[in-house]
Amino acid sequence: MKALLSKEFKLCVHPALFIYLALILMLLIPNYPYLVSCFFVCNGIFFCFQQARENGDAMYTAMLPVSKAQAVKARCLFVVIIEMIDVVLMAAMCAFALVAMPETNGGGTDHSLSLIAFALVLFAIFNIIYLPSFYKTGYKAGTAFLKSAIGIWIWIILSDGMMIASNAVMESGVDIAFFRFIHENIDCMPKTAEALTVQAILFGAGLLLYVVCTLLAAKISVKRYEKVSVA
Amino acid sequence: MKILEIKDLRKAYPGFLLDDVSFDVEEGSIMGFIGRNGAGKTTTIKSVLNLVHADGGTVLFEGEDLWSNETVCKKRIGLVLGEFNYYKRKKLKAIAAVTKQFYEDWDEETYQALLSRFSLDPEKKISELSQGMRVKFALALALSHRAKLLILDEPTSGLDPVSRDELLDIFRSIIEDGEHSILFSTHIISDLEKCADYITYIKGGKIVVSTDADSFKDAYRLVSGEADQLERFRSTLIGYRAHAFGFTGLMRREDAERAEGLKVAPADMESIMIYTEKEDGHESAAQ
Repeated sequence: MKALLSKEFKLCVHPALFIYLALILMLLIPNYPYLVSCFFVCNGIFFCFQQARENGDAMYTAMLPVSKAQAVKARCLFVVIIEMIDVVLMAAMCAFALVAMPETNGGGTDHSLSLIAFALVLFAIFNIIYLPSFYKTGYKAGTAFLKSAIGIWIWIILSDGMMIASNAVMESGVDIAFFRFIHENIDCMPKTAEALTVQAILFGAGLLLYVVCTLLAAKISVKRYEKVSVA
Repeated sequence: MKILEIKDLRKAYPGFLLDDVSFDVEEGSIMGFIGRNGAGKTTTIKSVLNLVHADGGTVLFEGEDLWSNETVCKKRIGLVLGEFNYYKRKKLKAIAAVTKQFYEDWDEETYQALLSRFSLDPEKKISELSQGMRVKFALALALSHRAKLLILDEPTSGLDPVSRDELLDIFRSIIEDGEHSILFSTHIISDLEKCADYITYIKGGKIVVSTDADSFKDAYRLVSGEADQLERFRSTLIGYRAHAFGFTGLMRREDAERAEGLKVAPADMESIMIYTEKEDGHESAAQ
């Protein structure tokens, strides 16, 4: 597995991935839907799959002393590592924003644990759609990305939309308990014990969903790729 | 001792069936795997290596089931599936650095010696190599991890005659110790004439014959005769080509020995394959 992972990083990484990872700096933009930065990372991962495909990676890997299942698992682990790098960068940016950007984000979710939880859900959606879809053929990277992009954007619109709506409702002076709860506990920096608890639960749930979806995605991908002929 | 045993290998595609393919590769020998394009050579090799999921059959490598011990077995198998056409923008040294991580038995000294022998510059990119040099690089990688069995799919197809001859010499030297073996698929039959100990001939997804090279050639004779003799011998000719002065064709040895009035000569592998492929439709030069 170590050798396969090394192969992924030395041969399959597309240079654009680093640019997309650097787009975590978008979290410094005031009033912006920060989850979009995660979509760009998914785009970077898709570029890596394309790069591998165009370079005949499937056949090269098939000639190495590894099974198809190991090859798929290594690629899934590669995806997880990239996503976790982005999550760690996001956490650092959120910590920085706690001090440097105290204003509420009018464009989506605030810098918070909730944002990281939503990012984990986004990556879970990407993994569960993209990986099994790609490994159904082993080469249709574009179709798989299109399908996953639809899922990702529905999630971005739903989650950030909900935060924007809660802001708007609260600013209008109408007091609806549901939106007040979001405004005071989810879409805010976790400065109170209650908000921190709610966001920690959200983060735990997001992490759990990420782990379950990614393991399931890897399992389905392995099963599907076994049936694919490497040509 | 058999290093590779393939039994009843089966794979069905729409319009093509790999039909119960069975043959063995003996330790210390070169097995030539011949057949025309589309006969099933590559499908057989890919099925053996689990690159293609076979519908049935068994593959034993050194007595072990290859498919259930894939990782372990593949460490002792060197593979060359045509020229090295992967990661063309990467340097040879980058590809080698990645590849050698997969083999505990990687022999850097052998690898460096092969680079020199093949005049391969590790600083060059794959895209800068000619077709022949890419085959040589694939061979250098395959030969550098002390593989017991080399499986080569069309390794000489893109090479010039001098390079091909050089490679055939290398193949012979590899098996000299009696412990290494080569399964060598090709449609360049003259290469096998020079180096193969055994021949397996596949046609339309079925094995026609699998035997030692001498028996393979000895089982057939090239015959030629006058045009008026053709009708008399047509039923015993495996394949033939008619021309203005008569015909030339292929017969089984026992039929050729009984064929009075025909000129009989030893058959070479290429003629055997060409005339056998004509079996289903005899060709006339006059048409």
